[in-house]
Amino acid sequence: MSLFDKFQGTADLYKLLLESTGRDPFGVSMDEMKGPTRAMVEGKEIVLAGTNNYLGMTYHEDALLAAKDAIDSDGTGTTGSRFANGTYAAHRQLEQDLAAYLGYKHCMVFSTGYQANLGAISALAQAPNDVILIDADCHACIYDGCQLSGAQTVRFRHNDPESLDKRLSRLGDEVKGKLVCFEGMYSMFGDTAPVKELVEVSHKHGAMTLLDEAHSFGVYGDTGRGVCEADGVKDQVDFYSGTFSKSLASIGGFVASNHPELEYLRFSSRPYMFTASPSPSNIAAASAALAKISADSSMRNNLWENARRIHSAFTQLGFDLCAETGPVIAAKLPSKEAAFMAWNFLMEKGVYVNLAIPPGTPNATSILRLSVSAAHTPEDLDVVVNAYTTLAGELAQASVDA
Amino acid sequence: MSGIQEDDDLVFHKICSLLEPLNEKGIKLTRETDLIADLEIDSVSVLDIVMDIEDNYDISIPVNTISEIKCIGELVDAIHAIKKEQS
Repeated sequence: MSLFDKFQGTADLYKLLLESTGRDPFGVSMDEMKGPTRAMVEGKEIVLAGTNNYLGMTYHEDALLAAKDAIDSDGTGTTGSRFANGTYAAHRQLEQDLAAYLGYKHCMVFSTGYQANLGAISALAQAPNDVILIDADCHACIYDGCQLSGAQTVRFRHNDPESLDKRLSRLGDEVKGKLVCFEGMYSMFGDTAPVKELVEVSHKHGAMTLLDEAHSFGVYGDTGRGVCEADGVKDQVDFYSGTFSKSLASIGGFVASNHPELEYLRFSSRPYMFTASPSPSNIAAASAALAKISADSSMRNNLWENARRIHSAFTQLGFDLCAETGPVIAAKLPSKEAAFMAWNFLMEKGVYVNLAIPPGTPNATSILRLSVSAAHTPEDLDVVVNAYTTLAGELAQASVDA
Repeated sequence: MSGIQEDDDLVFHKICSLLEPLNEKGIKLTRETDLIADLEIDSVSVLDIVMDIEDNYDISIPVNTISEIKCIGELVDAIHAIKKEQS
């Protein structure tokens, strides 16, 4: 009994949400996929505007073909970890390709993006003498990496180099290693970090930096290398982490670095050593997507064009948006209940976005997180804009009635 | 001894003033008030309040310490311990 007591509060909230509309925002089933931007849900075709398919590569013919070929040649699964029998030539090749693309000397491939951060942070920092400093809005995998490491973890204010500076200044002489973690673009609000300033402050105090570009890889910077490229400090980042499950349209993760000691993680990072390696088809799809985005900037250009259209339309409609134009366009709603009703309203209008409520969001905000894809057609975006236009009208009416 | 008591009260009152905007049910705040169960503040909001406390006292309270804190009194004690250690 008592093991289950702690879930009651959340379970009650779930029940309430479900009863009010008969739809579970955290359990939507895409019954049949119709391509990168469409799926059948409850018998109706909807536009997918709450994914992380920024470059829209999930159905790209190169990736499809490479994944199929890999199954034929290397089988469906590796049945082992990178540390044992799970490293194939393709895993090594992708590590080299990623390092070359990003301009780092070393790269390690993990089984998911979550495990890349978990594995790097937990191995790099150790209790009792190392300290990890994290941006307050960092993703759960960074928090979990800190917890797994056991090292003292201190939060600094979101995107605030001065707050980081203060916290680094407070550290005593007994502290040996210092690791500062932050992200390029934050996935919920879509805001980007002042990477240059955070790197400068970290290095001033002799701390190393781990920059998670999961959501910004392939998207930001002149050639898609991320926010650190846009900020001109790519070569100063100590550890660059990323994922295959966004712009590379697969699943898996990686950490790249110029420090040769990155290789030590292969025999010290538990989330690397004690889980099966990515399947051959996952690796092949990610490799093909990487080759494509290295050679062709048209997906990135389409993405930004689509992002500009949606951001400008939502601004005109009067939505309270969380960030400047970018692939994630999140609108703030006044309460959990309002956000849920709005989310359900959009589903009725044929648009899937992500509902995000506290504690999964910064500053206890309730948001509708929309993500733009390069694969969104003008017709997809028409459906989205029409749905939000009607929603804006409903919200205005509701506030008049209140 | 009275000096420590006074300091203790000051810290307690400071924390209460930071928590008051989140005290939606208007309950009386005591050393025994449970942050999550009584005030119904989510775990991330607790971390955010701690950042205000950190800047107020110019100390750093590790996330590891905060996760073990349940009630206001424990937070007061943790601040004293860290102030002593980091001064």
